[in-house]
Amino acid sequence: MTRLHMLGLVVATALFAATSVHAEGDKAAGRKLVYTCAGCHGVPGYTNAYPQYPVPKIAGQNEQYIINALHGYQSGDRKHPTMDAQAESLSDAEIQNIAAYLSSLAK
Amino acid sequence: MNRVLTLISFGAVLAFASTASLANGNIANGKTKAATCFACHGVDGNSVDPQYPRLAGQYNLYLQHVLHEYKDGQRDNPIMKGMVATLSDQDIEDISAYFASLPSKLDTLKDHIGGDK
Repeated sequence: MTRLHMLGLVVATALFAATSVHAEGDKAAGRKLVYTCAGCHGVPGYTNAYPQYPVPKIAGQNEQYIINALHGYQSGDRKHPTMDAQAESLSDAEIQNIAAYLSSLAK
Repeated sequence: MNRVLTLISFGAVLAFASTASLANGNIANGKTKAATCFACHGVDGNSVDPQYPRLAGQYNLYLQHVLHEYKDGQRDNPIMKGMVATLSDQDIEDISAYFASLPSKLDTLKDHIGGDK
């Protein structure tokens, strides 16, 4: 019985730890990572070529949406040559950090 | 010479017309047509659930492009695929014009980069 309790406690702790790690991105680390993004996303009105359309505003965008978008480029659900390559180079933790920083910029 | 000039002016008019039709869209009609979008993206275009993107103040032509991408499968998203299936090109222009016209919490990264802060 005691052993069962212990097991429950261990499982609960592990679950809690996993959840809190997953939810928290590091904004300061994200701020450094988005330096690369600014080459296109930091120029107001900057246009994608072939086809032509403006590169989206991403500062202030919602956190989970950013995470999903970058994972979408990794998995191929979204296709864009430049973004595929960028997303490919990012770890899950880096994606969370970027999303934490970008979403914190909402005006 | 005259004929060439005429031809050039025709070309210019056509180019202007196609640019104008790309950029235009009727905001008031867009608001009506966007009613379905509000459940997830918010009446003010700022989604409360962080899994859905904020649309308010996003670039008009970007929104149009994305809606076409959902429609032709370039972006693979089951929810949005269903939403855009019945939209005409005119609907897409109007809806994009509406969301682009709303007060925005979005920005470019222009003043938000650097490793110091």
